[in-house]
Amino acid sequence: MISTVYAVLFYVATVLLIVGTGMKVLKYARTPILLKIPVSPAPRTKRGVVLRMLREVLFFESLFKSNKWIWIFAYLFHYGMALVLLRHLRYFTDPVWWWVALIQPFGILAGFAMFAGLGGLMARRIFQPRIRYISNPSDYLMLALLMLIVFSGYSMKFLAHTDIIALKAYMLGLMRFQIGDLPTTLPLLVHLASVATLMIIFPISKLMHAPGLFFAPSRTMVDNARDKRFVSKWARNLPPLPEGIPTSEEG
Amino acid sequence: MAPLDKKADDDKFMDNPFVIPPLECGASLDTDTFKAYPEHNEALGFPGELLDNWKEVAIAKMGELAKRNRAFQVYLDTCVKCGACTDKCQYFLGTADPKNMPVARQDLLRSVYRRYYTFAGKYFPWLVGARDLTKEVLDEWYTYYHQCSQCRRCSVACPYGIDTAEISMAAREILDSVGVGQKYCNEIIAKLKKTGNNLGLNPKALAATLEDLEEDLEDETGVAVKIPLDVKGADILLITPSADFFAEPHIDGLLGYAKVFHSAGVSWTLSSYASEAANFGMFIGSYENMREVSWRIRQAAKDLGVKRIIFGECGHAWRVAYSFLNTLAGPFDFLDQNYPIPQHILEFTLDEIESGRLKIDKSRNDEFVMTYHDSCNVARGSAMGDKEGGQFDVPRAVIKAVCNNFHDMERDTIRENTFCCGGGGGLLTDDLMDLRIKGAKPRMTALKQVSDNHGVNKMAAICAICKTQFAKVMPKYGFEMDTIMSVHQLVANAVILDGQESDEAEEPTAEETP
Amino acid sequence: MAAYDVNGTAVEHDEEGYITNLSDWTPELADVIAKAEEIEMDDERWAVVNFLREYYEEYQIAPAVRVLIKAIKKSMGPEVGNNKYMYELFPYGPAKQACKIAGLPKPTGCV
Repeated sequence: MISTVYAVLFYVATVLLIVGTGMKVLKYARTPILLKIPVSPAPRTKRGVVLRMLREVLFFESLFKSNKWIWIFAYLFHYGMALVLLRHLRYFTDPVWWWVALIQPFGILAGFAMFAGLGGLMARRIFQPRIRYISNPSDYLMLALLMLIVFSGYSMKFLAHTDIIALKAYMLGLMRFQIGDLPTTLPLLVHLASVATLMIIFPISKLMHAPGLFFAPSRTMVDNARDKRFVSKWARNLPPLPEGIPTSEEG
Repeated sequence: MAPLDKKADDDKFMDNPFVIPPLECGASLDTDTFKAYPEHNEALGFPGELLDNWKEVAIAKMGELAKRNRAFQVYLDTCVKCGACTDKCQYFLGTADPKNMPVARQDLLRSVYRRYYTFAGKYFPWLVGARDLTKEVLDEWYTYYHQCSQCRRCSVACPYGIDTAEISMAAREILDSVGVGQKYCNEIIAKLKKTGNNLGLNPKALAATLEDLEEDLEDETGVAVKIPLDVKGADILLITPSADFFAEPHIDGLLGYAKVFHSAGVSWTLSSYASEAANFGMFIGSYENMREVSWRIRQAAKDLGVKRIIFGECGHAWRVAYSFLNTLAGPFDFLDQNYPIPQHILEFTLDEIESGRLKIDKSRNDEFVMTYHDSCNVARGSAMGDKEGGQFDVPRAVIKAVCNNFHDMERDTIRENTFCCGGGGGLLTDDLMDLRIKGAKPRMTALKQVSDNHGVNKMAAICAICKTQFAKVMPKYGFEMDTIMSVHQLVANAVILDGQESDEAEEPTAEETP
Repeated sequence: MAAYDVNGTAVEHDEEGYITNLSDWTPELADVIAKAEEIEMDDERWAVVNFLREYYEEYQIAPAVRVLIKAIKKSMGPEVGNNKYMYELFPYGPAKQACKIAGLPKPTGCV
């Protein structure tokens, strides 16, 4: 019974995540950019923009320049999570890819980094008056949900041991649309439910910042307005303006 | 009438330009700017007064803008409330009002957008801070979106590049579309459509002013330096803010351009039809109005048959010129393609200096120890020259070429992190004087630092708004009003014209004469 | 709208004290506006106001500060005709405050 509920949950969550995010991304891509609005320091070439975005993604460059504390916590969290996610590939691959096997111990450590980062961000949200002022319930809950995911994940390892082999069999089964038996320890159920929740809310929440980053005209546009005329598809339909100077207005 | 800026007289400097004040909710809630009259709004194609069905119209407009403008759409969605921008706005640092923190300013609108256009906001408003659009919310928009100078300092700080200027422009457009305009901006745009400039200077008055200035130039130099107006067939059309015909120290900048053009031996002209560089259409976020204002420049250029367009010292005008003009009024295939279209006067002057065509006596500026205020719209919304960062380096190169003493202010208050002067984005109006004084606080503090440490006694800028703002605000901080200078004022001081009667012993310049 | 009271007659002005109907101006009104601005009119200030009105008559706009100063310098001498002194006469700026007293519209733009 629980196996089936979780199977349905994961299928639904996956569909919502992919379709929802895909639709949003499509919407962003289809919305016209009106004007050239790159913000300094703006590269003059496409190559420069690619490098700029790489620095943003790899190093969180702007955040590093603007706030070191948030940068440290955000970096620990995001890159911790990246490693943790990669580590989790072992539950979906058989045989496990060699490099996934290689990063297993780092993935375990990365979970702590992720948790520390989340804790730091949560602490700032609670104790820094400026950030508390701009926070809504969902902002706290999002961090809490992520912390719950990490916590329940570690519980399986350190508190209530879960049959990982059975879990992997279940997951591999789901990928072939076969519903097997899910081990029903509490930490695992919590872990999986919270991950599914995160997947579901992804496209309808601020988590869209991840794909959104690549659609921010202030960062993705090339600073070459004088060299190359830019006209948005929206502006092409505007009525033409007169070419000459109206005589009545001439001094 | 009581003077408008009385309450800010006792404002003091900060310990450093980045001191974050403790939050004071509502501190600038009653700082409001005058609303436009019906005739101002109507001249711009907006309803004269608040519509009866304003709520529906506003909500629909918001949706329309999100569909039309990717920046607006993406910026509404992607903020994670990390807080990195919260200490970046000069108006927050100056007023301590938390709604002047960039993210909080965005949220005034984002919260309403969420309520009507997102799943979470429609069904779980309390969870994501979504709220209904009410008259109070509309008033709050009017108040706080007119405490943003659209300077983009927060956008540089944001990990996702979210640009509060875009949100603030959209908010003003929504307000305009329901009949709530700002007097300062809308009156000026209406005036420009009638007379060709923000000032309302008619061609006859403009011609008289220029003649007067020519007289001054000849008195000063003994050389007949011309400031031509409406000369058909001239090579260069100069587009400069109308403040350059009116205010101090702007006029000194204009005299500087005239001297540079004279020395360079080029033919140039001003236009009485397009006698304004500024484009307030940007401030109110109205693409259509911005396009109409820009279009005049194209018309004038075609009508006069010029080959090049050069812009004078004006901050947001240069953003519109550099980044938008080609889009709004292009293509400029009828101009000489060997020059940048448009070109900045500083690019032109630097070329003249570097090629050695301009004769400079730097010592004439020896009484000045200069610093340079990067104007926000030039710094973050445009560029100069052909190298990245040219908008920072070209002005400094010109200043250093005509001045012996130069010191930059604190690193995080200049270049891409420059503070707005406090009067940009349609806030340069007397009814916002209190806000302008507070918004200038970080810049004034940075100036005080270099003044104390390096003996800096003048600050140069290349924006009409910056110049007016500082001339007004500096006295409140104990600086003389003429502490602010035009960059081309320095150029004008140092340049030696051929045949100029020198006030000092002439150094060997004879080799220059053929 | 608010109004100035000139010997019992109301003269309308806008939020900032500029009169809305320029033909309402009289020398008595100038005194009333000046008082509201906490300024006492004297010969020097009258010279400025009169020049502004003459200039406006011809050009339908206020003169540039520099043009004003040059004219005052000619008529009243360099002690009066200089930027600093103008701001002593009209602390809120010769352009704006003197225009208000002279019954001219407010100069707009980046000034």
